[in-house]
Amino acid sequence: MRAYPLLGLCLIAASGIAHGAAAEVLAEPPSDLIVTVYRAPYRDAGSIDLNYLNGFALVTDTRLVRLPAGVSRVRFEGVADGIEPSSALITGLPGRVIEKNRDARLLNPSALIASAVGKPVELLRTNRKAGTTQRLPGKILSDAQGGVVFETVEGIEALRCSGLPETFSFESLAGLSARPTLSVEVQSPVAVTEEVTLSYLARGFDWAADYTATLSQDGAQLDLGAWVTLANSNGVGFPAAHVQMVAGKVNRENGQVEPIDIGGRILARCWPRGSTSDQPPVILREEAMNRMFKMSVAAPAPAAMSLAQVVVTGSRVQQEQLGDLKLYRVPERTALASRQSKQVRLMDQLGIPVNTIYGADLAAGASESGSTGPAHRWLRTKNTRANHLGLPLPSGSVAVFGSYNGERLLQHESGLRDIAVDEDVEIDLGESSDVQVSAKSEKTSVDSSHAKLLPIVPGVALRSVKVDDIESIEVSNARAAEIDFDLRLSLPEGARIVRADHPLGAKNGRPIFRFKVPGNQTVAVRFQTQSIGDGILRTP
Amino acid sequence: MRLRLLCIGWVAWLLVNPARAADRALSVTIYNNDLALVQDRRDIEVKDGRQRIEFQDVSAQIRPETVSLSAADIAIVEQNFDFDLLTPAKLMEKAVGQEVTIVRVNPATGAETREQAQVLATNGGVVLKIGQRIEVLRDDGLPVRVIFNKVPDNLRARPTLSVSIIGSHAGTRRATLSYLTPGLGWKADYVALYNESDGKIDVQGWVTLTNSSGTTYDNAQTLLVAGSPSQLDGGGQPNLYRAPVRRQNMQQPGNLQQPGTESGSRERLGDYYLYPLAERTTIANLQTKQVSFLDVHSVPAEHGYEFRNRWLGTAETPQSAQTIYSFSTSAHAGLGDQLPAGTLRFYMKDKRGDPQFIGESRIDHTPMGSTLSLATGEAFDVKVHAIVDKRTRLSIFDWQTEMRYELTNAAPSPVVVKLRQEGLWGDSSVKAESQKSTRRSADAAEWSVTVPANGKTTVTATFETRY
Repeated sequence: MRAYPLLGLCLIAASGIAHGAAAEVLAEPPSDLIVTVYRAPYRDAGSIDLNYLNGFALVTDTRLVRLPAGVSRVRFEGVADGIEPSSALITGLPGRVIEKNRDARLLNPSALIASAVGKPVELLRTNRKAGTTQRLPGKILSDAQGGVVFETVEGIEALRCSGLPETFSFESLAGLSARPTLSVEVQSPVAVTEEVTLSYLARGFDWAADYTATLSQDGAQLDLGAWVTLANSNGVGFPAAHVQMVAGKVNRENGQVEPIDIGGRILARCWPRGSTSDQPPVILREEAMNRMFKMSVAAPAPAAMSLAQVVVTGSRVQQEQLGDLKLYRVPERTALASRQSKQVRLMDQLGIPVNTIYGADLAAGASESGSTGPAHRWLRTKNTRANHLGLPLPSGSVAVFGSYNGERLLQHESGLRDIAVDEDVEIDLGESSDVQVSAKSEKTSVDSSHAKLLPIVPGVALRSVKVDDIESIEVSNARAAEIDFDLRLSLPEGARIVRADHPLGAKNGRPIFRFKVPGNQTVAVRFQTQSIGDGILRTP
Repeated sequence: MRLRLLCIGWVAWLLVNPARAADRALSVTIYNNDLALVQDRRDIEVKDGRQRIEFQDVSAQIRPETVSLSAADIAIVEQNFDFDLLTPAKLMEKAVGQEVTIVRVNPATGAETREQAQVLATNGGVVLKIGQRIEVLRDDGLPVRVIFNKVPDNLRARPTLSVSIIGSHAGTRRATLSYLTPGLGWKADYVALYNESDGKIDVQGWVTLTNSSGTTYDNAQTLLVAGSPSQLDGGGQPNLYRAPVRRQNMQQPGNLQQPGTESGSRERLGDYYLYPLAERTTIANLQTKQVSFLDVHSVPAEHGYEFRNRWLGTAETPQSAQTIYSFSTSAHAGLGDQLPAGTLRFYMKDKRGDPQFIGESRIDHTPMGSTLSLATGEAFDVKVHAIVDKRTRLSIFDWQTEMRYELTNAAPSPVVVKLRQEGLWGDSSVKAESQKSTRRSADAAEWSVTVPANGKTTVTATFETRY
């Protein structure tokens, strides 16, 4: 026991050799927090995936810093673990910022051992029978490849290979911090206390709009309500924060982010420990375990997790313009806790006039001949003030409900892209088995009287002829009510419709027939297309 | 007493350890392509005659073939890089044929029994010879400690470089060890705050160093080189976090518009620009470090829109135009510096005055005096709908395409969109158009289209393509 003061002394002697001069200053916890959540940049429509939040956030926090005169290292503890350190910005620090650092190594058992290699530690070994613990000063020689070798006065041993309970007791934290930390080296001419703003981008956030559309009994009107659903998969929460969302696609360079080193398990791998009763493929199993270990280390990001709570709040978000993007503000301060998803009301628009359209999109030509399939159904309206809309609709998911005996019933769920004011809105309602579309190629005729010959080599020529196809498409309606039908065709390049028994229109450059199908009836559309067909021909 | 000796031993070990900081001067030169040149000057104790000197605390990813050691009055015999790591399994393997001490612990009484044993084999399990008996270590599951007398010479906690030299006379001398290592990299990160009211940007530039080499470089003089010297074999393991590689796809919206022709005052090495850090710094393992190198205010910037239709095709739904910010890196009315490759992040103040992120864009090494035009994202309110109205086959190798572009603007102010039709391959010509286009290249035609506030503009054009 008398040895301890001596041990302490020699440790001070040892640590004095290693340390630098900058004063360590810990910034106070954040006094003000702003979190702006951005959507996953490559999701065009649809809801967020809580298991894989691909969006990000700009986190801005304000902290009080007490700086002494001279060079000091200010530590900002508790930044989000998904931080992109190269995006960190610190404003309001007096004096000159020398450098900013983010250490990926967090305080964890394996990091403790790694930083203690070559340094004095105490080995604790407990006698199970007697319950006494023996403390032995020693030194860790190696922690390579998951195995730990140490040295004491008794000699060299490997950790946890003997079957005895043994562990290390460390003297210091070796500068490892428990929470993700950003530090700034700054030089200040005088001692000051200052409010400092730290902002950075962090991964592991996402948001989307989730719309619920309720159709009126007659199907002519729609009530559209929407939630903003946002989520945080970081291990750090943001209490009493101003929370905002940004809609619009923001450019992101999908570079790798230096991940946090969450540390591997201490495996305390030993020498081969096969016994006389073991089966041979022990080594293989060990390798497999090693692979598993590597895999779990390779995927450290805040990806997989289960979100524990879903919180629904009452107030409505407020929208403003941010450059070419839309910013939505949650009006009150709110907490965006760690691994939490939260919903805020985005809008409630009532009595939007809608049309229900049935339709099909078919390739003209023989390929679809003889095929029969259900028609598609969707709701169509325009995002205007007159239609009780006229506000930007951020992308997300739409669940459409109909009513049946006064009860709401889910009809269909689909994705919605970003829709600006005055754009057309189409909400997919899925397929309708009551309305079937069948296509039939009636006749193909080749007009060889106008054939063109292009000689390629003697004896072989390219022949071009006019090809005429007559097709008919039947739309059958098993519903009692009349429906609007949009029949859209895609033609081969260069082909055109030369004759049809229904008026022909165009949508996005492609032919479309718009007609009505009376209840319980079938309507047939016949048309003739003309194209130029090529073929290689042997000439005499 | 024994403990005191041990303690003295530690401190002595720390002092003798050749890696101690006091008499060591490190300088690190970091290139863009995951490569660094480390120059490590330290005092070494040289005896007379042949000896082995170990260099600990070199990069764990050192490329040993690039090591060179120079010091006065020594001759180098050979140089070894030991990467056999000290693990329990290796320790036991190297002890085959050697004596170890085993300590059996009686599980009932806790009493210890010491025996000498010889390690016979470690294939799958450890077989020991104790006296005249053969035993498998811990075959019965009872606790047995194994104590080794020493660590074999070439087993280390970290890969270690050792050099055999012949000293002509004893004494301390300054040695310079230099080597190349992957695992260290740098890139630039820029922060641009756009002021919407006067159309100006404030730009800060930071160099971002990353160290995944497995070693900490204490108190190193650091020089960053904006360049990527070619390496034969790619040199070592790829570093995921290195600086961006040269962009291959020049079709990306927004990039270098006009390469600059101005020279600055920055130091150069050949055609590479140099960015020395003002002060010595410690580059810790797994650390991301940022040091400022650029801070300019109120540089004029232009905000515009760009839309590229990649081929003469139809989009089913309207597509958003790209938001573009353009500025100059010229000495007057510009950033006035060469920009090393990196990521430029744009911010803009919201109605409450808080800066918000509005997108980022990657830039290449950019000479001074260049014009950069960078895309930050898609505009919510400005959309373009490209439609093929009609495609006619004039003859076998001759097609005519009638294009219609519907540009919509839901914002309360008029915008100008650079509308570009690309993919004009073969012998393509514009036969008719609703407004005059400029032909940026044989492959692309461009219109500058004004779209009124909350309005719509339609552009039509007829292309003829022969091939």
